Amino acid sequence: MLRYVLRRIVLTVPVIAGILLISFLLTHVSGDPTDLILPPDTPDEARALFREKHGLDRPIWVQFYVFSLHALQGDFGNSLRFHEPAVKLVTDRLGATTELAMAAMALAIAVGIPAGVVAAYRRNTAADVAIRAVSLFGQAVPSFYLGIVAILVFAVWLGWLPSGGRGTLAHLALPAITLALGLVALIARTTRSCMLDVLNQDYVRTARAKGLGEAPVVWVHALRNAFIPVLTVIGLQVGFLLGGVVVTETVFSWPGVGRLAVQAIYARDFPVVQAVVFFFALIFVIVNLIVDLLYAVLDPRIGYR
Amino acid sequence: MIRSLRSVALAAIVSAAAIGSAPAETLVVAQNFDPQTLWPNGTTASDNLNAGSAIVEALFWVDPDGEEFKPLLAESYELEDNTTVLVRLRPGVRFTNGEPMDADAVVHSFNVFIDPAKTPAYARVSDPFQSVEKVDDLTVRMRLKYPFPPIRLALSQLYIVPPGYWNEVGLEAYGQRPIGTGPFMFDSWARDDRLEMVVNPDYWGTLPEGIDRIVWRPVPDDISRAAGLTTGEYHIAANLAVASALDVERQDGLKLVAVPSYRIYQVILSSLPEHASPLLDKRVRQALNHAVDKQAIIDNLLFGYGVPLRGQVLREPQLGFNPDLEDYAYDPDRARALLAEAGHPDGFEITFKFPSGRYAQDREVSEAVAGMLAEVGVRTNMVVLEPGEFLRQLRAKELQPMAFVGLAPQDDPDLQVSQYHSSWRYAYLNNPELDALIDAGKQEMDVEKRAQIYRDAMTLMYDEAPIIFLYGGVDFFGTSARVENSHARGDGRFFFYDVALR
Repeated sequence: MLRYVLRRIVLTVPVIAGILLISFLLTHVSGDPTDLILPPDTPDEARALFREKHGLDRPIWVQFYVFSLHALQGDFGNSLRFHEPAVKLVTDRLGATTELAMAAMALAIAVGIPAGVVAAYRRNTAADVAIRAVSLFGQAVPSFYLGIVAILVFAVWLGWLPSGGRGTLAHLALPAITLALGLVALIARTTRSCMLDVLNQDYVRTARAKGLGEAPVVWVHALRNAFIPVLTVIGLQVGFLLGGVVVTETVFSWPGVGRLAVQAIYARDFPVVQAVVFFFALIFVIVNLIVDLLYAVLDPRIGYR
Repeated sequence: MIRSLRSVALAAIVSAAAIGSAPAETLVVAQNFDPQTLWPNGTTASDNLNAGSAIVEALFWVDPDGEEFKPLLAESYELEDNTTVLVRLRPGVRFTNGEPMDADAVVHSFNVFIDPAKTPAYARVSDPFQSVEKVDDLTVRMRLKYPFPPIRLALSQLYIVPPGYWNEVGLEAYGQRPIGTGPFMFDSWARDDRLEMVVNPDYWGTLPEGIDRIVWRPVPDDISRAAGLTTGEYHIAANLAVASALDVERQDGLKLVAVPSYRIYQVILSSLPEHASPLLDKRVRQALNHAVDKQAIIDNLLFGYGVPLRGQVLREPQLGFNPDLEDYAYDPDRARALLAEAGHPDGFEITFKFPSGRYAQDREVSEAVAGMLAEVGVRTNMVVLEPGEFLRQLRAKELQPMAFVGLAPQDDPDLQVSQYHSSWRYAYLNNPELDALIDAGKQEMDVEKRAQIYRDAMTLMYDEAPIIFLYGGVDFFGTSARVENSHARGDGRFFFYDVALR
């Protein structure tokens, strides 16, 4: 088990290095930060000084070498715009993003799994159709659009919730729901199809035969066995969540990493883009490692070595 | 005795309540972005400057009402000769940490200002400055490398910082926690969420009425910013999109402030020989000007909020604006005739580049222009560019042969027309006659002679048609109806001098 975990952790290193190389190249070949950060009428001498100060005057492979050397020591360089270390800009905002992502995930699980179970158990009834329709809607509507509609309805018309910002639970509600909706849909659909497979299994019939009530049969025996694919989907959806915060944080003025990422990309603020990509990749890899380990907890037949 | 004391006290309370009107409250301002630095000379981005200059003040400011040049930390300036400026400072002003605002502070700030390694974004206006010397505690003498007619513009961008505190903390930290002389003092800053300032009780000037605190909220989404204004979460929402602006205009309790912007929208028609295209022929460039119905674009795509250019790139109140010029009339027949004369009776095909997401309605306007050109036989291959790539191409002179741009230089005719000088980094023309006029205007200190030079330059540009003259943009600020005297300017700036919240 421990060896497995160690091996997985060692394997993340080339994965993250590859991701950093790709994002480095993508950001460097498209656009020049001096065009985006300095006014267009800035004289060339001032521009040259700016490039020199940030090492942008060196050949790209030298820049990547220097970047890698520092990155190995956890230093992604200073932001080109903020005069602050890129890593600090990201870590300062990780709390807000984690809060939003966790709230959305918790909400998605709390709603999605029961909805999926109900849809499977009452297959082809009105409840099933309704849940499937809502799921389809949830997955189809882009979150920036949903977010704006939510603001217009709940903040402007009804006046129940603030239109943006971070602070109280009321501030969290709209962005978390917006971010969760696509996820609810996916979790509900996955749960439904897995439950359908499981409900016809022999052990479910056996459980019923030995006189268990419907509730324990469905919610304990069946659900636990249907849960592994659902868990896989949840793990993979961390990537969806991290992508979703980019949009949701912008719409709801949420002070998180996603919004920092958007602005950094628009300004070609290379160090910040790299730092965000690094942290997002790291989170994704770690969460999926945890998910893999949870399999063994859920299903004793699975072992790691 | 006791009774009379009590009634005196009571009378005092009553009259205080009557005089002291409503208690001061917090003004909440929503802008697009959180400032990167609050040191105004750190960037030229208006979001940074609006917030930073509530704390740190310049020597002068340009009031958008009548474009008046007004003193702040300086009382006056005088040109001793064409390259020497004597500046007299306002006496008795202190920074909020107790340091005096005097000649030493100005000398220090000046030396930071002219160092392009520290202020790269200001290199264009700080370049003319050579050196500064202290004459006495409240007078400095600045020397210029060459005569610089827009000297006022430069003086209004020199922000004065306290040398003691600056040297103690350094440039970066100063921008995160500035100390200045302004009406507000830094209080706290939760990045990307809220920046708070409290009123400076010892301010040398008149404080804004009814405001004891400002909270700056970064709200990047256009619709969210307008929504927060509607719900009363913000008192001021800057930089609204035109659709939101129309909404704000209709609502009770809100005010729409529409400010003609310094941004001039145009279509580059490159006449550089290395950019071979039919546009090298002046008649073709004139034809394209006749082919575009800008009033229709303004009415239909900008809801009427645009200022048609009068066949020139200078704006109506600007020095050098030529009132004798009329714009190219919308006349497709005339356009077709000119094209035929130039040897293109059946029109031609040409590449037309435009950005998406850089300017208000950029894609829509570009598509409308392309449609109008098609009417006279000019078939465009539309190339859409992401804003970062768009700016790179602009400066690399790759936005050719045709491209939609909105250029927003600072408010001076030289800074505007220099962009069409052949030596300019992104000039898509090379006209020695125009170059000569621009060079002359750059050094002419006599205001009337200078105005005449630019009027001549405008006449020449009109005839040469290096661009399709489109329109000047309009910026929108939404405010609560309780906010009075908000000074919004065409470069996205707004100021709190004599603002009131009632």
